[in-house]
This record gives sequence, C-alpha cells and structure tokens, in this order.
Amino acid sequence: MKIIYIKHILSFAFIASLSQFISSENEPFKSTYFPMPYSNVLFQNANIFDGDGNKYLDTDIIIQDGKIVAIGKDLPKSEDIKVIDVTNKWITPGIIDIHSHMGVYPAPSVQTSSDGNESTSPVTADVWAEHSIWVQDPQFALALKGGVTTFHVLPGSANLIGGRGVTAKNVQRNTINSMKFPDAPHSLKMACGENPKRVYGNRSQAPSTRMGNAAGYRKSWIKATSYLSRLDEYDSKSEEAKEMGYKPQRDLELETLAGVLRGDILVHNHCYRADEMAVMIDIANEFGYEITAFHHAIEAYKIADLLADNNICAALWADWWGFKHEAYDMVQANVAIVDQARNGKGCAIVHSDSEIGIQHLNQEASKALAAGIRAGYDISEARAIKWITSNPAKAAGIYDVTGSLKVGKNADIVLWNGNPFSVYTLAEKVFIDGAIAYDRDSGYEPVSDFDLGILNPNKNRIEE
Amino acid sequence: MLNLKFKRYLATYLIIFFANSMSAEEVLITNANIYDGKSDSPFIGNIYIKNGKIRNISNNLFDVENVIDASGMIITPGFIATDTEIGIVEIGALSVTRDDTPSIYNIGFSVFDAFNPNSTLIPWNRANGITSAITLPKYSSSPIGGFGSFFDLDSKLNISGVKDMVMVGRVGGSSSGSRAETFALIEDLLDLAYSIDSKIMKSNAEITKFMSEIPLVDYLDLQIRDIQALYNLAKTDLPLIIESNRASDILKLIEIKKKYNLNLIIMGAQEATLVIEQLAESNIPLIVNPINNIPNSFDELASNINAAARLEDAGITLMFNAPRDHNYHLIRQGAGVAVANGMSYSGAIKALSSNVSKTFRLGSKGLVEEGASADLIIWDADPLEPSSMPIKVFINGLDTDLTTRSSRLRDRYTKSLDKPNIYR
Repeated sequence: MKIIYIKHILSFAFIASLSQFISSENEPFKSTYFPMPYSNVLFQNANIFDGDGNKYLDTDIIIQDGKIVAIGKDLPKSEDIKVIDVTNKWITPGIIDIHSHMGVYPAPSVQTSSDGNESTSPVTADVWAEHSIWVQDPQFALALKGGVTTFHVLPGSANLIGGRGVTAKNVQRNTINSMKFPDAPHSLKMACGENPKRVYGNRSQAPSTRMGNAAGYRKSWIKATSYLSRLDEYDSKSEEAKEMGYKPQRDLELETLAGVLRGDILVHNHCYRADEMAVMIDIANEFGYEITAFHHAIEAYKIADLLADNNICAALWADWWGFKHEAYDMVQANVAIVDQARNGKGCAIVHSDSEIGIQHLNQEASKALAAGIRAGYDISEARAIKWITSNPAKAAGIYDVTGSLKVGKNADIVLWNGNPFSVYTLAEKVFIDGAIAYDRDSGYEPVSDFDLGILNPNKNRIEE
Repeated sequence: MLNLKFKRYLATYLIIFFANSMSAEEVLITNANIYDGKSDSPFIGNIYIKNGKIRNISNNLFDVENVIDASGMIITPGFIATDTEIGIVEIGALSVTRDDTPSIYNIGFSVFDAFNPNSTLIPWNRANGITSAITLPKYSSSPIGGFGSFFDLDSKLNISGVKDMVMVGRVGGSSSGSRAETFALIEDLLDLAYSIDSKIMKSNAEITKFMSEIPLVDYLDLQIRDIQALYNLAKTDLPLIIESNRASDILKLIEIKKKYNLNLIIMGAQEATLVIEQLAESNIPLIVNPINNIPNSFDELASNINAAARLEDAGITLMFNAPRDHNYHLIRQGAGVAVANGMSYSGAIKALSSNVSKTFRLGSKGLVEEGASADLIIWDADPLEPSSMPIKVFINGLDTDLTTRSSRLRDRYTKSLDKPNIYR
C-alpha cells in the first residue's frame, strides 16, 4: 500500500513535471526577446496623448529601466537620468499595427519570399505566420520611423482558416523568436467572403460560395470540438487511467482550433460585409468561441451596435475601397461610427495591411477622426489616438503591458516633433521597452542585412 | 537628327471637348487665400467667375447675386490626377467592370470610348479635391502603346476632355524576357514609327501594303490602328509616359529621348535620385508617388521618402500619382508627406496642378488666373493635410455637387434612425 502510494506520488510528480516541461520549458518557438539597453530619460514639458483617452499638456514623463515610472508636472530630476526638453512636442504610446504582413510579404515583393498565404487548402490552422517571417525585411525599419513599436503579423486571407498570427516587437533581430512579444497570445486568422471562395472556387473546389465558406468553418469547429473533448476527457482521467490509456495524438491543425475554443488564441477575422460578420458571430456563438476583431470590415458601420454588444473590435482602413465588390460600400466615418456605438462602447482600430500605410498610421487616424467629426461626432484627438495604440493592444492581448502611457507599463513611446494628427509631423525618437530604437536627429536607425551595400558596396541602401 | 519643325504638336490629332460643360453661372469668391498654382506664395483676392472662366482676380467687387465669402479659407486650382483608371474601372476585382485592357490593339488602343461619366469614382474623387484626371490603359504586351485621355470630373454624360492625349509604356524587370530586349523593341518601334511616310496613311490598303514589308508587324501582331498610333507618336509631339524605376533604365530612356526627340515623361522613377543630374539636364518631367519608399522590386532599391524634395531641388518638374485604386485624391496626402520630408509647399501644389497642365498641354487647367477655366477648390483647411476636405469644387465654373454614394451611405446609417434603414 505504502509502496503503491509512493509510486503514485512519484508518478504524479513525474507527470506533473513532464507536462510542465512540455507546456513551458519545451514549448517550441518561445519568445527569446530581450530589450536593448535602457535609456533612463526625463522628458520635460511634453504634450501627451496617453492612449487611454487623456491629454496632458506641459507635463513631464520619466522612463526608467524599461518602464514608465512617472507622469506629472515638474517631476524631480535625479542624477542618473537624462533630461530632454520636449516643449511643443508630443508624446504618444508606441503605435501598434494589428494587421501587418511585414516579414511574410517582405520587400522586395518577389515570389521567393512571398510566404503569407498557404493557399493549398481552405483550412490551414496548422501553419504559423512566424515560420514565414523573413527577419531581414527592410520594411520593419521604415515602420519604426513611423512610430510603430509593435506589430501583429497575420497569414493572408486566401483560406477560410489561414493559420496562427504572431505579435512582434519592432526590433530587428536575427531570429523571429527574439522579436516575439513575450507572453502575447497567438491569434487565428480567419477570412470571409470573396477571397476564399475565389481561390478555391476557381479550382472547382469547396468553397466556391459564401454558403460554402460558412459550411467550411463549421465543419472545422465540429472537428475541433470533438478533439477538445477527447483532450479534456483524457485530462480528467485519474493518473492510473492515464497510464493505461493513450493520450489523443497531437494534431497541429486541431491544436490551434482547440486553443481558440479554450480562449488561449484570439480570433482575427478578415470580413468585409455586415451580413457576413453577423453570420460569423452566430458561428462563434454556436461553437462557444469569441471573435476578437473583424479586419477590414468595410461595412462595420452598418452593424456597429452588434459589434459593441459582442465586444468585437473592428480593425479598419480610413478610406480604402472599391478594389473588390465587398469593399464597395466604404464610408470615411466607419472608424468613428464603430467607436461611438452604444455611447462610446465600441472598439475601433485603424490598421494598415500595407507597408506604406503602417508608416503613417497617425495620418490614417487623422483622416478617420476628421470624417467622424464631419459626420457629427464629438471625438477628441486623445480618444482617436486609442485607435492606433490601446485598442490594437487590447486586440493583440498585450494591453496589460503596453498600448498606453500608464505607470508600470513598458516604455514603448514615440516622441513626435508636432501634433501627430498632422501630415507634417514626424516621429523624432522611438523607444521600445525604454531603449532608444530610432533617433531622427542623430540618424540612429536599424539597417537590415538586406540594406547593406546593395546599391553601393560602401553604403547602406538609402544612405546618401 | 530629326527636324524639329516637323515635330509640331498637331492639334488636329487631338479631339478636345472642353467647351461642352461651361457653366453660365456668375460667381464672386471674396477674400480668399489663393494658391494660384504658379506663384511661390499665396495672396488674398477676389475671384470673379463667368461663363466657366475666371474673368478677374483682384480686390474688385462685382455686382453678382452669388457671392461666396471665403475669408480665412484656402483656394487652390482643382487638382489633376495623372495616372488613373477613373471611368474605366468600377470595381478592381470585377473584370466585367474593367475596360482598361486591350486584347487586339496593343499600340493603338484608346480608353476614351470606355469612359463612364456615371462611375462612382468621379463624385468621390471630386468631393476629395480632384477636378480632372488622366485615365491610362493598363500596359499592353508592347513596351510602348495604348492611349490615355484627359477628363473633367464633372459627371456629365456630355464628356469634357481631351482624347488620346498621351501614350504609355513600361520597361523594367519582369518574370519573362530581358529588359535589353525591351529597349531594343522600343527603338525598333520608334524606328518603324519614323519610317512611316505620310502618304501611305491616306488609305488602309496602303497601310496594309506597308505593313506586309515589316517583319516586326507579324511578330507583334500589329494592326492598322497600331501603325496609325505609331505614326501619330512620330509625327506629333505626343507626350509619352514610360513607367520605369531602375537608375540604369532611366539613363537608357534619357538616351532614347534624345535620339528620337521624344516628349518623354518617366513615371515611377523610384531610383531617380541616383541619376539626378542627368535627369535635370534632360528636362524629363517625372510622375512619382512621394509616399512610396518601399524597395518593392530590385528595380526600386533606392526608394526613399525624401526623393521628391531632392528632385525638386535639382529643378526637375514633378507630378504625383497614387496607387491605381480608386482613391486618386490621396496624391494630396503624398504631397503633404513630400513637404514633411523637405519639399516646398508651393512646389507640392504645383505638382498637383500646373505641372500637370504644362507637361500635358492642358491649357489653363491647373491654374487660378484670369482667363483660365474656372477649376478651383475652396478648402476647409490646409489641402495638403489629408484630413482636410473641399467646401466647394468648381469645374468649368460649375459649382459641383459634393454628394457621393459614400456620403449617402454614411447618412443612411447615422441619421433619421427612427425609421428602418432601407427607408431612410
């Protein structure tokens, strides 16, 4: 008895440590991110949009050891801190792009590194965008100069279920793991509408219609539900019974989908039309998962209340339209209408989906804000800056550590040479985790391996 | 060397429709802050418009019923989009709405007859500050060929514009063939164009006979219209836009321009800054997208956000384009970004207006001056801020409607919410 008892204890301990081993230490593709050397800085007399809806004028902010440590008037200087007078300049949280294909569709745009769509099957929940990312993409540095400190890379939209997305810090490194945002959840890319039905319909394969799309998602979730119940059933067994039985075989596709059903992986759903978004909400309810954000969502303004009631963000362009039939009903006030739904409970995000747009998300937010004001909404700049900071941080599941200038959060901040809502304003300094990542004045900026000596052996690509 | 006198600009080849849509209205705009499209700084003045033209710019007052007080507001010329699909593509991915691509005529293809004045892109771009546009065909399999036309964006079925006022072409890296062959082909086509005797152009039989003697005709499957197009290119001073990006390609195009005395415009020109002196000396105007700093191909490695400023400094005539996708008004945002990165403000305004009309000889389009067609915009704020919008858009003196399908959709979902949406 005693022996058995001990054996039980041992085996339990062994299993516990083993499962811990698998789930954490042996977890593949873990973030190995480490910050660059901190700058400890007191910014004096800054104008601040804090990303949580507040504006502070002539206010000081201190960053130390990678964190925001104080915001207030006339903060005291200490000896080990650099003081920068930023009178008439603006500070915002680092810009976050919730829809980027940098790395998976890098520049130059050539077939050999065009790795964003595994369009060989309508459901490829097993693929991970991070395994496609080319870390030498010269677009990262361009986005950094536009104030982007964090970006979320998604697979493309050819498939109903396109695979896992990943959130990265905008620090150019030699491995993707060392760029991965620590502890950020994975996302799952899903796509409605024209793209999957065109890609597969053209091959006389399902789906070729929107009803085929809907059936495709549901079939996948049925499989995932069954896989998850087998996993749960196994996990609920006694240790003895576990020893006797077999653990359900790993399945990469279903692991991802089960991760969504467990709430560990966030659904980011490319979807343009209002009626299709409503169908997707029904499917989510049918299988008990949540949609974090609809992306592109040209018609989000038609169902803004429904989105607010379901706590779903809409990640939108300021003005793109017409490239597809499902993108025909664009209104410039889309972002504002989503934002103002149910008395301001809506979650609006301005995204780029573009290597040029990501460099000017502040301008995109500015256009969306102006359109909202013209539509009669009373929206402040301090609120609109949330569309490119705290709201995307929430949708990426990283709001607890970044996305707004709150004491204790990561010092991901942008110093702008003027009001960021003006086209003439440029990012002057960008800090990631309190480390200077870009400095316009001194020309301190990352240069990818690609840029090195490619036009002139003695110069970097755009060095004059 | 070619005889310059021979290369007159033969207006007879161009069909110009400007007179169609002049407004008989009389309008006086007072106290406007005027960027006239040619001066380096703005001035305050009154603008008197009658019969579609600007009749007077001064401090004078005229006794007219329709007076607009534009105190504190900026007026610019109506902006001209240079590189568009306006009127020939309604929905990008819907091929039944695309009329931009030929299948038979590679060089003689004209988009003019496809132009749809009811396209939703017209009110949209007008409401965002574009009063006229050059609509270009998609590139054909020939490295030069296909005519673009100029259109006023007044939404009138009675089209106002200039037919076939530009030819297009492209050279650069591609997944098939060599650019060396493309350059050779361009020169062969130009040699062919210059070898056409005006006498044979009088009858199709003569043209057919001429064609039977040219091996290139068979190889490229050229038709009579293609030969007529090449003839027009050689015998007139027709502007020729060639899209090209790599520095070495630009140098080769400069050489071709000199050899054939072409009225050449280079579009794209992402590596123009690497050959800036040669470009300045060549007097070739450029159409660039100043917001595009992506090394998107191995032809565009030198792409740089400050290119527009540096090209302006070298005295090169600049015009702007935006991606060929509906929002051609975004040339304003591009212009703003160019200014943020060192270009002069007045230079950016000119790139959106008078530089286009000068390069493509569109008369007084793009200018706010006495005698000019009254294409002008009253802005709610700085026109180079993408958040700004026009308050009034005049085209040929007509105070145009700024309602768009998009603004109707917005209103449907934000106003009169007590009624079901489809009854709003």
